Amino acid sequence: MIIFENVWFSYTPGFPVLRDVSLQIAPGEVVGLMGENGAGKTTLVKHINGLLKPTQGAVYVDGMNTRLTSTATLARKVGFVFQNADHQLFADTLEDEVAFALHNLRFPKGEIKRRVARYLKLFDLTRYRGQSPFLLSGGERKRLALASVLCVQPSVLILDEPTQAQDANQKRVLLEFMDSFRRSNHTLLLVTHDVEFAVQAVDRLLILSQGRLLADGKPREILSNPSLLHRARLLPPQLTQFAHQLGQYVPTFPKDIISLREAVTAVNRLLSAKK
Amino acid sequence: MSAILEAFRFKRKDSFMHRLDPRTTLYMAVGFSILGMFFIEIVPLLMILGLILLFIALARSLRQWTRSLRGLAVLAVFILVINTLYAPLSLAISTVLRLIVLMSAFSLFFLTVHPDDFALALVKLHVPYDFAFAFSMAVRYVPTIATETETIRDAQMSRGLELERGNLIRKVRNYLPILIPIIVSSIRRALQVAESLESRAFGATPKRTSLHELRLRKRDVALMVFTTFIVGLTLYVVFVAPVSCPGLLPDWFHWALPPM
Repeated sequence: MIIFENVWFSYTPGFPVLRDVSLQIAPGEVVGLMGENGAGKTTLVKHINGLLKPTQGAVYVDGMNTRLTSTATLARKVGFVFQNADHQLFADTLEDEVAFALHNLRFPKGEIKRRVARYLKLFDLTRYRGQSPFLLSGGERKRLALASVLCVQPSVLILDEPTQAQDANQKRVLLEFMDSFRRSNHTLLLVTHDVEFAVQAVDRLLILSQGRLLADGKPREILSNPSLLHRARLLPPQLTQFAHQLGQYVPTFPKDIISLREAVTAVNRLLSAKK
Repeated sequence: MSAILEAFRFKRKDSFMHRLDPRTTLYMAVGFSILGMFFIEIVPLLMILGLILLFIALARSLRQWTRSLRGLAVLAVFILVINTLYAPLSLAISTVLRLIVLMSAFSLFFLTVHPDDFALALVKLHVPYDFAFAFSMAVRYVPTIATETETIRDAQMSRGLELERGNLIRKVRNYLPILIPIIVSSIRRALQVAESLESRAFGATPKRTSLHELRLRKRDVALMVFTTFIVGLTLYVVFVAPVSCPGLLPDWFHWALPPM
């Protein structure tokens, strides 16, 4: 359970980046966090593992006040995959890279070995295990970064822009992984600009704008609310835009479409009605 | 750490010092640093510091300088403590003062000279353009790398890295997971920048002209003469005067704390 209680945060006094943010995230939820550049998305998620402490208010993770808990302690519970994999890869081999967090958190040797093998396999990297991480391709490096955070088996996972510079196949792999993570009752928080991806992946959306929580709800309600999206400077998914524009000609056409299947069903119904 | 850099970060301002030719400011910075090297007494060092501060005030940048000084405090205390172990307290204090003089002299330069103008000045001083450009690029990327370092530190701390853990050797080793990504990503970026420069025809013409030319004005010449005069006077006071006319310098000039 993650709880934000009236959180304010500023890097420079007098210029708040987060303004009075309150929210709760229950175990097993997959939550997307969206908002314009500079809205405070990364600042918000950095509060969850204690990298940043609130200037006012409080953040609790499983009952622990992050102000009183070190990031290293929170690292057992909260996994954080940063935007750019190159910002965390450093070890001589892939195996050492995955083992890094496990060593830091003082896991027993045998367990480290088991987990390293398991997570390299899970992300299809076993064949490179003795190689340097820097010889991997961009997509492989991203997967390695993911493996090196997940091996701790955190109950909360934060992904910052996981789809950036990833091809369609990589996104599909990520989606499958997120699905399996969700099924084991873990909490996932996704920071993204990729509305098409978010709509497939999350069951709750948070919209942040200029440091304030503008909306918190089901993706369908939020993404089919044009005035809200306009205020947050977000574009709805293309299928929602399609439904809105078609709705100008066919008033009966549903406007809250967010997925491909819904769009196909609605168009099909429209066509058979015409006949 | 980043607070120390504050006094070396150019801020666009309109002041007498900002309008000077970068060559003048460089001359002054080097001149004042040399001054600091001649003395190990507290009083003259304070006088030099006062002189530099006068110019930093003219550059309307005292606030940035103070902030840096606060960042320097830890290092200053460290030097003070180490020095008092084998030297008189006065000497320890003047060593710290010397460091502050050096820092302030160069902060005067970096606060008021835009990196691009610095490159122009180097070219005027017959440094090959490639080197001058490389230097201004290096200065330009300091803030970028500073931001990146913070991100990398955050990423590794999220993986349970504790920088303060272990004995001294261990503590140094703790920084490897931060240093290596900085070096690797800096090299990656350097290659990208090189490609981007080449694709914009960097070095296509051997002789470059620049949009605005540096020109020495009267005030530049005046300040250079002033700096030369001060350095010359100091040379005289330190090397010639004690021999030719002893007693020229009043006693308070050599004032020191009584030995403990």
